[in-house]
Amino acid sequence: MENTGVSKYTISFGLSLALASVANGLLVVAKEKIPAVLAGMQKLTGHHWISHCAIILGLFAFFGWLFARPHSGRGINLTVHRLLGVLVSGVVAGSLLILGFYLIGE
Amino acid sequence: MAHVLFGVACLVTAVWVFVDVLNFSETNLGRIRKLTCAAAIFMWLAFLIGGYWYVTAYHADKAIILKGPWPFAHNFFMETKEHLVLILLMLATYLPITAASNLSASRDARRVVLWVAGLVAVLALMMEGEGAIIAMGVKVGLLSR
Repeated sequence: MENTGVSKYTISFGLSLALASVANGLLVVAKEKIPAVLAGMQKLTGHHWISHCAIILGLFAFFGWLFARPHSGRGINLTVHRLLGVLVSGVVAGSLLILGFYLIGE
Repeated sequence: MAHVLFGVACLVTAVWVFVDVLNFSETNLGRIRKLTCAAAIFMWLAFLIGGYWYVTAYHADKAIILKGPWPFAHNFFMETKEHLVLILLMLATYLPITAASNLSASRDARRVVLWVAGLVAVLALMMEGEGAIIAMGVKVGLLSR
């Protein structure tokens, strides 16, 4: 497999975005279902939503950087077809988690 | 509101990027890269302004919505919007990263930009729709007093 003309950061931040999208959905469920999580996030910055944003955007930035490190800094090898599969699946899964939770889960 | 204006600007710019990449040539490469940066900047401005308003002022609107005939405007639409917007923000931030690849030489690199611009446009449109329903929730809440 090889990166067919896309930069290492396109791969690394694409994977990170998929991961952070799913984490975003899971954090919503955890926050709403476990009062201690909500209280902790409230305490962290003074508002649960600010903490939520900081955690998810921090994850996106950190994993985007981390996934560009392997192979002596050349990043993860992945075909564009695979990258798009992971990216779209992550975005759709994260969105459905949030929509589904507020539609039927709460 | 500036929040809505920048959100619409991000949506329009993402559609523009999508169309420009579909009709890619060496002559529009520079414009595509500038537009992807503009989309990200517009989205960050919309997010920061909307976020500031949400944290400091939304509680008054929330009370009106919950007492009015459209409580779902908060319980579903605001709750999902405040979290889905993070996915949109990350996608808009990712867009200029995808456009930094060698778009001239690689059809695959252009495919990534197309997909990301398309996702930004769809999610931005969804946010605009949710925002409209939330605003209507406040309006019907006030009218029913």
